[in-house]
Amino acid sequence: MTVPRFDELIHSPTRLAIVSLLAASEWADFSYIRDTVELSDSALSKQLTTLEQAGYAEIRKGFIGKRPRTSARLTIQGRAAFEQHVAALQQIVVRSGATILPAG
Amino acid sequence: MSDEVSPAEAAQALADIQLRQQQVIDLATIPAWYWWAVGALMVVLGVGVDSHSPVAIGLTVPVFVVGILAATGWVFGRAFRHAQLRNGLLDGRAVVSILGFVALIDLATIGLAFGLRAAGVGHPATLACVVGGLVMGAGGPVLMRRLRAIMLSNRTGVAR
Repeated sequence: MTVPRFDELIHSPTRLAIVSLLAASEWADFSYIRDTVELSDSALSKQLTTLEQAGYAEIRKGFIGKRPRTSARLTIQGRAAFEQHVAALQQIVVRSGATILPAG
Repeated sequence: MSDEVSPAEAAQALADIQLRQQQVIDLATIPAWYWWAVGALMVVLGVGVDSHSPVAIGLTVPVFVVGILAATGWVFGRAFRHAQLRNGLLDGRAVVSILGFVALIDLATIGLAFGLRAAGVGHPATLACVVGGLVMGAGGPVLMRRLRAIMLSNRTGVAR
């Protein structure tokens, strides 16, 4: 069972979007995250660096042929923090008497 | 900080989380044309087998193999360039669905082909591959909808 723990670092709207994408992935390409979340290269780099410094994300740089490729993934710690944050959000909703989000 | 977040804000954040995860899941959706293309390639292979001609078999087998590799490479390459789905999104229900689909295709093609041949029907491989191809084209999108529903139900934060 996941212990609810609100995480201010994750809750920032931009980082929440990034972490949510990463939570459904083993890894995601930098350009895919950038285009999906609609950020500039520098803004995404900054957010990923923040997540990396918190130990929540891992950034991989490599090459496919001669083309550089950067991808990111959640660390085990990042995934756990995300799950705890989601549980905290659910707790807030449930405590208010509202029903939690429908399945699916 | 959590005390400052209203239930409405929390609900909105949860909805955003679900949506973002759904975007990744939708990347892995195999388009309907893929299943019909594989079905058509099966028919090409069946025609080659029924011809009993080494030349025809020599032509249809490479068409089948290259066609499958090209279609599969295009579909999966597109998805894998962007992101790789989290392994936990697919569970035992997905495995059963995929194995069931494979068994259905096998039954509709190989089983039917042997049955037709035993009954003395002409062009058994072609007829069986037409049936198998139709099952593939019609059933593939159904399988994808099932797998998508399973993955959506396994997203973080979905009430179970």
